[in-house]
Amino acid sequence: METLRQLLVGREISELSRVSDLLDEPEQLAAAVGGVLPSAAARAPHAQLGEALAPAVERAVQRSIQKSPRTLTDILYPVFLPAIRKSIGEKIDQTFQSLNETLRHIFTWHGLKWRFESWRTGASFSEVVLKHSLVYRVEHVFLINRNSGLLIAHVTAENATSEDPQLISSMLSAIQDFVKDSFNEKEQSGLDTIRFGELRLWSEVGPFATLVAVIRGNPPEELHEIVRDVLFRIHDEYSQALEQFDGDSSQLIGVETQLQTCVELKQEDSNQGFPWLVTAAVLLILIAAGGWFFLSWQSGQRWQAYVSRLATQPGIIVAEQKVSDGQFYIAGLRDPLSADPQSLLSGTEVDPARVHSQWQFYQSLEPEFVLKRLTASLAPPDTVRLSIVDDRIVAEGEAPDTWIDRARSAARQLSAGGPEFDISKVRDVSPEARAAEHWQAYVSRLETQPGIIVAEQRIRDGQFYIAGLRDPLAADPQALLSGTEVDPARVHSQWQFYQSLEPEFVLKRLTASLYPPDTVRLSIVDDRIVAEGEAPDTWIDRARAAARQLSAGGPEFDISKVRDVSPEARAAEHWQHYVSRLEAQPGIIVAQQAARGGHFYISGLRDPLAADPQALLSGTEVDPARVHSQWQFYQSLDPKFVVKRLTASLTPPKSVRLSIVQGRIVVVGEAPAAWINRAQAAAEQLSEDGVVLDVSQLSELSLPELNRLREAIQATDIFFNSGKVVPGPEQTPVLDRLADQIKEFAQSARKSGITARFMLTGHSDGTGRETANASISAARAETVRALLNKRGVAPELLLVRGAGTFEPVVPENSQTGSSTNRRVSITVNLD
Amino acid sequence: MQKKICMLGGFAVGKTSLVRRFVQSIFSDTYLTTVGVKIDKKSVALPDKTVDLILWDLAGEDDIGSFRVSYVRGATGLVLVIDGTRAATLAVALTLRERAEAEFGAMPFVLLFNKSDLTDRWAISDSEINELRQRGWQIYLTSALSGENVDDAFRQLASMVTE
Repeated sequence: METLRQLLVGREISELSRVSDLLDEPEQLAAAVGGVLPSAAARAPHAQLGEALAPAVERAVQRSIQKSPRTLTDILYPVFLPAIRKSIGEKIDQTFQSLNETLRHIFTWHGLKWRFESWRTGASFSEVVLKHSLVYRVEHVFLINRNSGLLIAHVTAENATSEDPQLISSMLSAIQDFVKDSFNEKEQSGLDTIRFGELRLWSEVGPFATLVAVIRGNPPEELHEIVRDVLFRIHDEYSQALEQFDGDSSQLIGVETQLQTCVELKQEDSNQGFPWLVTAAVLLILIAAGGWFFLSWQSGQRWQAYVSRLATQPGIIVAEQKVSDGQFYIAGLRDPLSADPQSLLSGTEVDPARVHSQWQFYQSLEPEFVLKRLTASLAPPDTVRLSIVDDRIVAEGEAPDTWIDRARSAARQLSAGGPEFDISKVRDVSPEARAAEHWQAYVSRLETQPGIIVAEQRIRDGQFYIAGLRDPLAADPQALLSGTEVDPARVHSQWQFYQSLEPEFVLKRLTASLYPPDTVRLSIVDDRIVAEGEAPDTWIDRARAAARQLSAGGPEFDISKVRDVSPEARAAEHWQHYVSRLEAQPGIIVAQQAARGGHFYISGLRDPLAADPQALLSGTEVDPARVHSQWQFYQSLDPKFVVKRLTASLTPPKSVRLSIVQGRIVVVGEAPAAWINRAQAAAEQLSEDGVVLDVSQLSELSLPELNRLREAIQATDIFFNSGKVVPGPEQTPVLDRLADQIKEFAQSARKSGITARFMLTGHSDGTGRETANASISAARAETVRALLNKRGVAPELLLVRGAGTFEPVVPENSQTGSSTNRRVSITVNLD
Repeated sequence: MQKKICMLGGFAVGKTSLVRRFVQSIFSDTYLTTVGVKIDKKSVALPDKTVDLILWDLAGEDDIGSFRVSYVRGATGLVLVIDGTRAATLAVALTLRERAEAEFGAMPFVLLFNKSDLTDRWAISDSEINELRQRGWQIYLTSALSGENVDDAFRQLASMVTE
């Protein structure tokens, strides 16, 4: 059995005993478990193993620290040092921040307010300062996978925006890497602050993820701790999911709630600043109320001033007055003659619209009002003066009895209580007395008149008589009556003329008789008559004679102050006289003239037919040697000159007369037609210059005898033989007769004022060359002229011309043609 | 779902222009020269989900030594960009990948031969490409100009990194 057992299970038994030995023997068991422990621990579930080991590990660590703290410190040193360093850094930053803010606000208005707040709440002052001054808001929070830079989660505050968060988170970690690589920074913490103006990026680095907070404003340093806490909590809760993150964040949805707590962090500036609005409103109300009180006080003052002014007015009695609701009420009595209360308002600053008055009229018995009323009702004459003397009204002066009666009845009417009206001092004035007074005033006025001597005057039966002497140059006594109230019809005057020797009259007389030039001034100096100025010696002589004539008793006439006028001045006067004489000359226009250095210069225009300025000098006492003239000739259109020119140029026949009628030139008479034509041409030309030459009254000269003679002369022809320029002997009687006729005609015409001229025209026949014919014809005319001249015809009356073959008397091919055409013909021209 | 993707490539291979037209971006190109990286996002809709590819466009450097490998940390995929007209850039891209994988382990990638529009200056032979394909690599000939194959490449990478 035993053997069987050995055979069957002997191997298992030995194995079992070996295992039980192993279990019983701690040394062996330890060696065995030690062999499998690492792999057993690795295979055990993490959580259970952790829980199982935690107490033991804790105790072991505890023991280790108790035994030798140094060991664990050495181990943990690399872990803690950066954390501690960072924490201390933050703490120092925090302190500085707090110190900075405290200093900044310590002396400000906020500072005082915050001090009060810190006293009230029990918090330290720096805490309160930080609370108010650190205004910030966390706008974004990114949770970024530390390994790949991929975004795990992103949370945004309200109203905050950003670009694609996936790209931002990658770029942020790229920048972290960039900084780390660039500056060879081996530390695990990474970049923890990026600041850009108002914006800060704070990053907290965890084992698997980095949390980046984007903060706008000025965050307190404690915020680091808060952010870090959030990051730790996330790592705590999701450590496995974070570690295994491969771009799929579906396992980490809860993370966003954690991040949300970061985003909600903010400290906003309290808007409860100084209550400006309330303060302003209160101030406005205070100002308005103060203004209202002041204005109503002021208007009350003004009203009182007005009332007291009214009360002092005579004729006004203020019965009552009051102020109510800003309105003014006044009632009382007033005399109609007193000052108007309404008009007194102007000038005070009381608003008339707010014044309500009630005035009863009454008659004041104050003397001044009684006086006014009396003045109005009695209408006293100018000679009466009413005045107030010791509360009595006194009338003084003169008045007609009618007025005195009315005044007396008015005095009686003035009842008891009123002032007394005293008219005892008014004298009765009769009209006669007044007239006499006026007369006396007039007489005394006359007596004061120079040149009037009142010899006597009197009044009788209402008539006034006056007699005396008066100078003719004195004021007219009659004229002096006007303005006095003396009736001229009742005045009877008798005046004898005399020459007053009073200087002013003598002066007047001298002025009239001597006729002093403008340069002399006569005046009265201390009863003497003094002449001053310049005068020609002739006048001085006359004045001297007059002075001698002034007999004794008259005033002295002093002419010593009259200077003889200088020769130059006289010369200048003579010159002016000459110039004005020239200016009066027709056909002379003086353009300018001057007297300079004793010489006289004159220039202008003159018609050649006008008077010679030089000749005009004679008789003027101007020295011709000192006169320098420059005259331009011009044709005066003065009719007189035109007539002169026409007479010279047209040589009118004796039968014609030119005359000037009302500025027009009229030609009357008979003239030959040729002259009439020339006169008409001249008239046309002159009309362009505005001068009228009237030739309508000219008639053509008709002389039957002359006409007959002319026809006879013009019918005569002198004939020539062919090629001859001297007429044959058979022509001699023709020439003799012709010479006689021409002489007779010329003589008769001359008698009629006409010049006759005779044109001798030579002709040739058509044979021969034209040039020869032309010269033959001219030579024939010349020959005839010589022959006529020989017979006593004046050669200037004979004109010659050669017509050649151009003016044949008959056609050249006729029978008699050639012989008839070889001739000299005669035509008569009259000028 | 988001994934960090690094775009690696030599100098001037066209990484930046490759993504400019196809991605969502808020950062300017100056980040590349200042920080050395620019981050863009490309959302790719796969049949069962949408993947946001967070593209880290690393500044291209031919000097491999200055490559900031730390930027690759946490990446789940790579886009290697090669300039098809410059054969040397293939070696640069592969070296960069080796460095990234040495640091952070193997990860899926796509290989883009860029500037495929410049055919006349093309410097990579088909046999070379075929040989790379035989290694099982995902290879695309892309053009930033025409956009050819760019979307396909990102789609392929998105499905590779979410497997």
